Amino acid sequence: MSRYARITDNIDWGLITTALAIIFIGLLCLYSSSRGTSMTIFYKQLMWIAIGMLVMIVVFVVDYRVLLRSAWPLYILMVFGLVLVLIVGREISGARRWISLGPLGIQPSELAKLIVIIWLAYWGEQKKHIQGYGIRELMLPAFFIFIPVGLILVEPDLGTAGIVTLISCTLMLLLGIKRSTFVGLLIVFISAMPFIWFSLKEYQRLRILTFLDPSRDPLGSGYHALQSKIAVGSGGLLGKGFLEGTQTQLRFLPEHHTDFIFSVVAEEWGFAGSALLLLLYVALVTKITQIGFKAKDRFGTMICFGVAAFFTLHIFINIAMAIGIFPVVGVPLPFISYGGSFMLINWICIGLVLNIAWRRFMF
Amino acid sequence: MNWNMNNTNNIPGPHIDDDLKWKAKIFIAFVFVLFTILLLRLMNMQVFKGSYYESLARNNRIRIVSIPAQRGKILDRNMEVLADNRPAYNLIAIPEDISDVSSIAHRLAEILGSDEEDMVQRIREAKKRPYNPVALAKDISFHQMASIEAQLYTLPGVSIDATSERDYVLKELGSHVLGFLGEISRKQLDDLKHGSPYAPGDPIGKTGVESICEETLRGTKGVRIFEVDAMGRKTKILDEKPPVPGQDVVLTIDKRLQLAAYKSMAGRAGSVVAMDPRTGDILAMVSSPGFDPHVFLRPMAPEVWKGIVEDPMHPLENRPIRGQYSPGSVFKVIIAALALRNNFITPQDTVYCPGAYSLGDSTFKCWRRGGHGNVDLVSALAQSCDVYFYVLGERLGIDRISAFCLDLGLGRPTGIEFKDELSGLVPTKEWKYRRFGEQWHKGESVITAIGQGFTLVTPMQMAKVMSSVVNGGNVMTPRILASTEINMERTLNIREADLAVIREGLKAVVESEKGTARAVRDPNFAMGGKTGTVQVVSGYTSNLPDQSDLPYKIRDHAWFFGFSPVENPEIVAVAIIEHGGSGSSIAAPVVRDVIKEYYACKGPGDEQVCQDNR
Repeated sequence: MSRYARITDNIDWGLITTALAIIFIGLLCLYSSSRGTSMTIFYKQLMWIAIGMLVMIVVFVVDYRVLLRSAWPLYILMVFGLVLVLIVGREISGARRWISLGPLGIQPSELAKLIVIIWLAYWGEQKKHIQGYGIRELMLPAFFIFIPVGLILVEPDLGTAGIVTLISCTLMLLLGIKRSTFVGLLIVFISAMPFIWFSLKEYQRLRILTFLDPSRDPLGSGYHALQSKIAVGSGGLLGKGFLEGTQTQLRFLPEHHTDFIFSVVAEEWGFAGSALLLLLYVALVTKITQIGFKAKDRFGTMICFGVAAFFTLHIFINIAMAIGIFPVVGVPLPFISYGGSFMLINWICIGLVLNIAWRRFMF
Repeated sequence: MNWNMNNTNNIPGPHIDDDLKWKAKIFIAFVFVLFTILLLRLMNMQVFKGSYYESLARNNRIRIVSIPAQRGKILDRNMEVLADNRPAYNLIAIPEDISDVSSIAHRLAEILGSDEEDMVQRIREAKKRPYNPVALAKDISFHQMASIEAQLYTLPGVSIDATSERDYVLKELGSHVLGFLGEISRKQLDDLKHGSPYAPGDPIGKTGVESICEETLRGTKGVRIFEVDAMGRKTKILDEKPPVPGQDVVLTIDKRLQLAAYKSMAGRAGSVVAMDPRTGDILAMVSSPGFDPHVFLRPMAPEVWKGIVEDPMHPLENRPIRGQYSPGSVFKVIIAALALRNNFITPQDTVYCPGAYSLGDSTFKCWRRGGHGNVDLVSALAQSCDVYFYVLGERLGIDRISAFCLDLGLGRPTGIEFKDELSGLVPTKEWKYRRFGEQWHKGESVITAIGQGFTLVTPMQMAKVMSSVVNGGNVMTPRILASTEINMERTLNIREADLAVIREGLKAVVESEKGTARAVRDPNFAMGGKTGTVQVVSGYTSNLPDQSDLPYKIRDHAWFFGFSPVENPEIVAVAIIEHGGSGSSIAAPVVRDVIKEYYACKGPGDEQVCQDNR
């Protein structure tokens, strides 16, 4: 009985409550944006939330240090999934991102975001005796990160590939890179920019150009960005009210349950609603970093910071895109955007962090 | 904030070294910076620029569509329709809903008999604004409409829009009176003040009655305000104001006389004006040749436009009010009236006509080489003796002649409702000095008296002046709109007895054995009139029996003015045929035909209305 009490006492309820509050806002918006078309999306999302929470409990129960042993199997599983999706994946508007599992579709690239965090944290654990990595030490992780990133780029899914790369960079920086190496890499990266530009697909380049100058394509991706800005701006201070957003209800807003769902929040709940959501996100990320500081080993800390980077990057890129300060890329909003795989990953992340928070008391 | 890092120092993990701690703090600071950027941007967009985006959102979803008002009809004096509206069908496409462009284009081109490649192009072009309905074809036939309507369910994205098109029942024979509609020009739009009821592409009366009665005919557009979704589908109607149809306009024109006059012109260049001398009502107003006003309703091919403009017969010219001609011998009527009024002659006075008249060094020939012998006023008019009027011209002098002409209303617009009337010309001594820097010659007064000098009149002026001479001396302003008030400008102060003598002389033109227009005498009604021949090129004599051997351009213009009955006339008709030859043989039959139709329509009893002979 006492053991049970200890378990519940040391669970970080604040983190779960914050996540649930965000989920509640997300559900309101999803309800609003799927009303009038198909409520299936809303019920599917509810189902995924339930599945996600169950998976979170499983992740919470098993000691996270098991992951030290399963980092490589997970990595191999991830590569297998990313290759598989290119072979058997459903092609939707020119991209293969989903593998059909009966009625459900899963996105291996979403899973890759998490597995890369775990693998890098594991790798850092192996090399924790080295103070500051040089080029020689970085070759290996760079190679093993490049494999999933490359595979995701082939799908193609620029947004996810970018996120995986940025999370990896953040973790590498936290693990420690020699100052000279860091500066050198920065110079190499900057001089490589033009080559990256020309390796982009035509539509990806167009999106970036359109972001810089929306009048280039007022009815294409510029149209999406503009409609989203109109939705956000017209929300005003207090919003148009639940189910009253004209941009959403009249379908001017594109992708309004996935990539542009933030615009629904902003339109129907105004600055008050969007600021509240931002605050909840800040709370979520801060809470995770706080747990990272308290983790009992570096492996746990790294996972926490990886997860914090994961959430921050998604939140920032997604909202920045919706308010017109970032090009339109397919990056979902944590706990809010519709999508099973992503919801699952969000909850697994929370499960891992809770796990790390809880196990610092277990010696 | 609860999650301050300082609170976390209670259990610092042994593994956290200072380096990692420092970097983690930078990481957290970076996170805060990112969120601050988002928050500031949101505040800017939602709080400060909220109303701007709110208006954008409103424009997004609200469509204001104007509903065209039915244009008023134009009716003749007997309420017969002259300009009508007929239903027309446009083929409309919503580009977004057309997925299989080539197959839809193929089928539409087949039904419409148009070019398939062109149709594909039009749809592709329209796809740039996919939610904007576009007209793929305008005014398709009823048969084509029915054919498309029947297959509509297999033609996604295609629909039929019913509108109305102007229908000019009289076609080319009313083209100058009625005018035509055209798309409002850029310049007209710019000239109109703010709040004008016109939008680009709207029809507006360009000429004729369509132009002068634009405001009456136009009506008021309705408006429909509705909300649309992103696909452009209507979700609900927010407000609606129905259009107010334009009012009909009734003309003084009699369709049957118009028809008879045009028919009688038989395509020759010239014009006919028929007027009720009692009221100034214009019963017929024909400019020949006419043109089909329907070609102006929509943009026309350049070669069509070129064909109309470069036609040597100038079909666009509105001759009754814009054709300026020498009056020829018809002018003698005016000289006779003036001479009688000012007591320069009495009806009984005679002049001997030897066939020519000498003044100083000049000799002025009479059209009849052998001369007319002794002629009094009646026979001078009947036989159109030039010498008689040479004498009067010399005696009266140009000052009196021009003053009287101005009294009659020559030298200025007649006052009919059309705005583009020309004034003609009444020469005076001052005018000649200004124009040529030369003194007036007496000989010019002599020439003026037979209508061959500088004087220029329009057929409308001629109808107005002749009406005032035969109606007892009342100058009536011609009117084309039944709604315009009847207006008598002035009375000429000519003794009724003198006017009766003139009418007698004019009757003798047709009814006497020596009259110049005896050939057009009709047993069923008495008619008075006066012939006129205008020499276009001097040196060619106008008394050749047949001018058809001469080149068209140098043939004489033929005038005739007629009226009936001789006492208390009800109709005055003026005809001019350009390069027609002699007035008696060419123009007189046209006037006779119009007057004949007038009686035919009037019938034996006033109550009876003749059958429409179309």
